[in-house]
Formats: sequence, C-alpha cells, structure tokens
Amino acid sequence: MSTRWYPIYQRGNPQLRVFLPNFWMKLIRPTEEQPPNVVTFSVSMEMTKYDVRSYLEKIYKLPVVDVRTRIALGETKKDQTYGYITKKDDVKLAYVTLPREESFVFPDFFSEKAEKQAKEEKSLDDSKEGFRRFLDRNKKRPGTPGWFSI
Amino acid sequence: MLRLSLVNPLRTTYKRCLAGQSLQANVADSEYSAEPAYPEIQDPSFKARKQRDASEWHEEIRKVPTVEEKLIKINMPRYYGYKVVDFNDSKIPYNALPLTQHYTRTVLEDLPQATGSGSQAVKEEGDKPSEDAGFKAVREDVIEALEFAHDYYKHLEKLPNAGQPSAVEQERTLTQIIVEQLNRALLQALSEQHKHLDEVEVDYNPRHEAFWAVGGVDPPKNVQNSKKGREWQKEDANQSVDRLVQYTGAPYLSLRHRKQLLPWKTPAESEDIELSKQVPRFKHDPRTLGYSTKHQHATNVPGYWPKGNEQNFGLLSFQSRAHFQLRPKSFGDRDLQEALHSLAIKSSYAWLLAQANYNGFNTYNELTYPMNTQTVITNGREWSFYEYQLNTLLLHGNHQDDNPRVNFCRGTKPLPLYAEISTNGKCVDFNDATLRQLLNFYANVPSIQRTNEELQPYVASDISAYENTEQRDFIAKTFKYLASNRPRHLEIPEFYLWEKLYKIDNNNRAMEPKRRFFEREVNPWRRTLDQHDKVYVPRAIRGKSRENRYKKTYYP
Repeated sequence: MSTRWYPIYQRGNPQLRVFLPNFWMKLIRPTEEQPPNVVTFSVSMEMTKYDVRSYLEKIYKLPVVDVRTRIALGETKKDQTYGYITKKDDVKLAYVTLPREESFVFPDFFSEKAEKQAKEEKSLDDSKEGFRRFLDRNKKRPGTPGWFSI
Repeated sequence: MLRLSLVNPLRTTYKRCLAGQSLQANVADSEYSAEPAYPEIQDPSFKARKQRDASEWHEEIRKVPTVEEKLIKINMPRYYGYKVVDFNDSKIPYNALPLTQHYTRTVLEDLPQATGSGSQAVKEEGDKPSEDAGFKAVREDVIEALEFAHDYYKHLEKLPNAGQPSAVEQERTLTQIIVEQLNRALLQALSEQHKHLDEVEVDYNPRHEAFWAVGGVDPPKNVQNSKKGREWQKEDANQSVDRLVQYTGAPYLSLRHRKQLLPWKTPAESEDIELSKQVPRFKHDPRTLGYSTKHQHATNVPGYWPKGNEQNFGLLSFQSRAHFQLRPKSFGDRDLQEALHSLAIKSSYAWLLAQANYNGFNTYNELTYPMNTQTVITNGREWSFYEYQLNTLLLHGNHQDDNPRVNFCRGTKPLPLYAEISTNGKCVDFNDATLRQLLNFYANVPSIQRTNEELQPYVASDISAYENTEQRDFIAKTFKYLASNRPRHLEIPEFYLWEKLYKIDNNNRAMEPKRRFFEREVNPWRRTLDQHDKVYVPRAIRGKSRENRYKKTYYP
C-alpha cells in the first residue's frame, strides 16, 4: 500500500533496496487522562480508521474494538529574527479502543535514566561540598596537604 | 470606631438611669440586646465562596414561583446555551454502562421475570380458567396485529415513491408500525378489565429531553492548565468539576396517566450511603469514550407542555434500538446487552427528570417523592423490559459523594416475541412469556395520587394567575423559544483561521486597532440570556411619551 512509485531499475550500485510504505503508526503518550483500554497513535494522514483497524489486526494481531480518528492542527511559531510565521504539519491521531479487560500503560523509558542522572549529580554535589569544607578548614594554613590533619 | 462603639451603650444606659428608668426594661427595646447575636461565621476561602454562591443560586431557582420561570431561570447564565455532553438515544459507545450509571446514579438489578410487578400476577393465581381465556383472546389479537403490521410494511415497500431506506430506517419504520398496532390491540383488549387504561394518554414519537449536572468528573486539560497558571489555584487544579448533560430522544410511543406508579423500593432501601458508593464512577472526560459535546439551552421536555392536561406521569415508553445496527460487530454480545441497559437507564432517567421538572424539581432541587416508569426497548421481534425508580436528582458537586440516595433500574434480557413471519404472512413460534411480561407492564395500575402541595412543593403559582398580560406573554414566549432548540437569531461571533494564526496564537499585528471581540476580552459564550437589545415600541402604539420606548422584560 503505497502512493510512491517503485523505483525503476538502474544499473550499478548502490541499489535502492529499502522501500517504505506510506502507512505508519506511531504510539504516542496521551495528553489527557483516558480509560486504560484506549491507546493513542499518531498515524499517516492517508490512513482511514478502517486502515488503522486492519493494520493492528492483521500485522500485530491485536483485538481492536473501535477506532476513532481526528486531525490535530499543527503548532505555529513566530520566527525570532524576521517575524514570519511557520507552521508544523497537521497530524492525524487515532484513538484505538481495546476490549475492556485489556489495559495499556505507556512505557516509561526514561525514568531510570533520570534517576541515574540524579544520582550522579548528587555524588558530584557531595564531592564539591567536601572540597568546600576542606578549603574552609585550611583557610588559615594555606598550602597544607589533605592528609595532614585528622 | 472601636472606642465609640464601647462608649455609646454606656452613655445611653447612663442617660436612661438619669431619667429614672430601670436598667432591665431598657435593654430589650434598645438596639442593643442583652445577649450578643453574632452573624454566622463563614468560610472566606475561594472554594467555599463559590459553593455558597452556587447554593444561593439553587435556592433562588427553588423560590421561583412557576414551572416555566424555573426552566427559564436555569438558562439565565447563557445566551448561546450551555456546553453540554450530547447524551442521545441513538449513540451508545463501547463500554458505556459505567458512565451511564455514574451520570444517572443508578443501581442496576435483574427484573424478576415470573412475578412481574402488578396485579396481573396475583389475579392469575386467583381465577385461572377465565384468565387463560382472556389471555388467549389477547394473544390472538396480538398475533393478528403483528401479521397486519408486517403486511402493511410490505405494502409500504412496494409503493412507487418508497425509495431505498437504510437498514436503520427500515427497522424504525417497521417497529413503529408494530408498536402502534400492538399498543392499539392491547389497549382495546385490556381496557375492559383494567380501567386505568381508559384514561391513558398516548404520545407518538414524543420529544423526551432533559438537562442535568453531574459532579465527580476530572477537569478538562484547558481548565487544569488555567488553574495551574495561577499560584492561588494550583492546589485545586485537579479537583473534579461538574459536567452538564443534555439528553435528547424520541421513543416510538409513550403512555401517560394522571396517577403515579407504585414504587418498588422503600425509602429505607433507597437511602444507603454504602450502596451509593458502589455505583460505578467514570472520572474521565466523556469524550474519551466517544461522546461529543455541543452548545445548547437546557431543555426539559417530557413530550408535552406544562399544564397541558392531567396525564402528567409516565406509565410506559417504547424505545428504539434501530441504531444498534450501526454498532460494529467487534463490540461483542456482552456489550450489546450493556448498551441495552444503558439505553434503558438513560432514557428512563431523562423522561422522569423531565416530568419532575414540570412538578417544580430540577437537577439542583431535590425530589420529595420517588417517581417510577416502565421502559421497553424493542426492534419488533426482540423485547427488553425495564422498570426504573427515580429517587434522587442531586448528582452535582459534592452530592456525588454525600448523597445517600440512589436510583434503581431493573430489567430483563431481550426476549423474542416471535421467531419470524413466514412467507405467507403467518406468525411463527409466538412466545407467550414475552407477551405476559408486556401485559404485566400494561396491567401495572398507577395508583398514587398526591395532593397539590405534596406533588409540587416548590411551585407556588401558575403563569395564568399573573394579572399582567404582557408578563404572561413574555414568559410563555421565552419558554417556548428556549424549548424549541432553534439556533439564536444572531449567530455566535466567529474568529477566522488567519486571525487565529496572526492575532491570537502569534502577535503579528500589534499596531492594528483592537476591535474584534477576542481582542477586547469578550467571551461570547459567557453572554447571559438577558444581555440583548430590548424590543422597541413604535410611537403609534405607545403615544408621545418617551418613557416606555422599549418593552419590559420579565426574566426571573
């Protein structure tokens, strides 16, 4: 399913071997609170709700109950230098309802990373603090090595 | 100030003592009492003030003397109508039952099939032979009515200008004929034995509309964001808000009677705080389920005008399930059953609420007596039977948690009335049990008649009692206009896309004069009902005086 032309064969290398279809779906984090059996996707603008349903049912074997779609207006932004306005593309959002027993929680990939970073920052702060205390202690006897006092 | 206030009473007592009056006698008739009377201490917080304002407004509505003015009063805050959740009888999304139960505070039970609910069951045990003969006669009439309805529908299909109706329209037309024919046959057959059926009023495709407020719903994102933006409101950003709901429906047929049906739950059973906490809650925005919102005036119409006639209480309504054909197969059988339950709950609740409105109650003023109705959902072949008892109307704000009362609904699964109509037009496999259930509903005698004071405790007057003709006309006209659901003569101001891009979202035209409504911080949705130009009275009518140039308005 694609609106793109399959590339005409040309001799020589490199050959164009990857050919992508128009249809794609991107799982996104919902902005508003939703029932646990509703999953939000950003989908290709060409896809209808029937396409979304068969995509999930046929490729991923998901039990889809209902699909609702809408088109969200892209954000606009004013250029800081010249003052003209640019607009991002509109996106089609698909809200896919699964059977009521199912529940989907958007995976939190980055909480671990954030935790690790916070830990590192804390240890850095600790060592900084230690150095400051050392300087304070040795204010009146400059040049004393660290191993000198108890 | 403080010193003066202390000195003043001393000085007056001193003067009185000089004049030879006793101290005791004078304290009473002076402006100072012996015991200080302090005003009630009120919570000055923003939230408490808002709640106080709201309850004052609800009290104002309660004190409005007539039914029509009460219904206008509820609409006073909005010129272009409230933003309401569109709750109608032709769209039920997947898994809608918890939301419907939350929005109507309803406990769902099974309808006991064998006994039914009326005198019919008792009588059946009493004199069986004559009852059986009666039932046989009714059965024959009903089968004949069914066959006639199908025959007539076939004839309609053959008409040259019949067109090609959709499957939903086909079911709607056929079921309308079946329900009308069955109702005619049953009224004819039963009215001799059951005298209350003589007084029944029949509405064909009546308007059933009701408006109410539901609390305990999570606030939408824009409300949350706006509160988070203010330091003093940050804590309340996630606090639940009220959603307004408007039900719109048109059943095939409804029957009304001047007396009320007997309640089947005692007041003690209806007031149970534990039970009320078990009613499912749906905290998310109803749009996440597939409901839409619209702007509309609050309308409460039970199929007739207030004071139209005596038949003010619902006996039975026949709801359509034709739109169930539009539901995808993937919803499954369990959801079909739940959708039937939720259709029964919301249609029964809305009809009773509309009737309650015509007796002076509304979503902000609590019922003082229970109201009952019976609902049948049918596609001609399959029939689901429901009984509903309305105990409470208070669903808004804190009442969601504090109100001990709940409403009750009990119902059956869809029961087939017949298997099919054969090619030669004969009814095959007629189901007596289904007919008996339907007969029970018809035989359920409405027997409660209340005095006027008991029936309408919050209604003090009637608009026909108003002496001022102009006032009567104004109220009648405004009420009918609000109930008509017509759009406003002046359309809601619109901002164009280029304005959103270059004026609202990005300030690209700072030097232009700010003349449009959104630049002057006017929110057209916040316009109140009485914010409009008054009607001009021409000089030929009013004479030369300049005083009465504009017609008076009589908004409550």
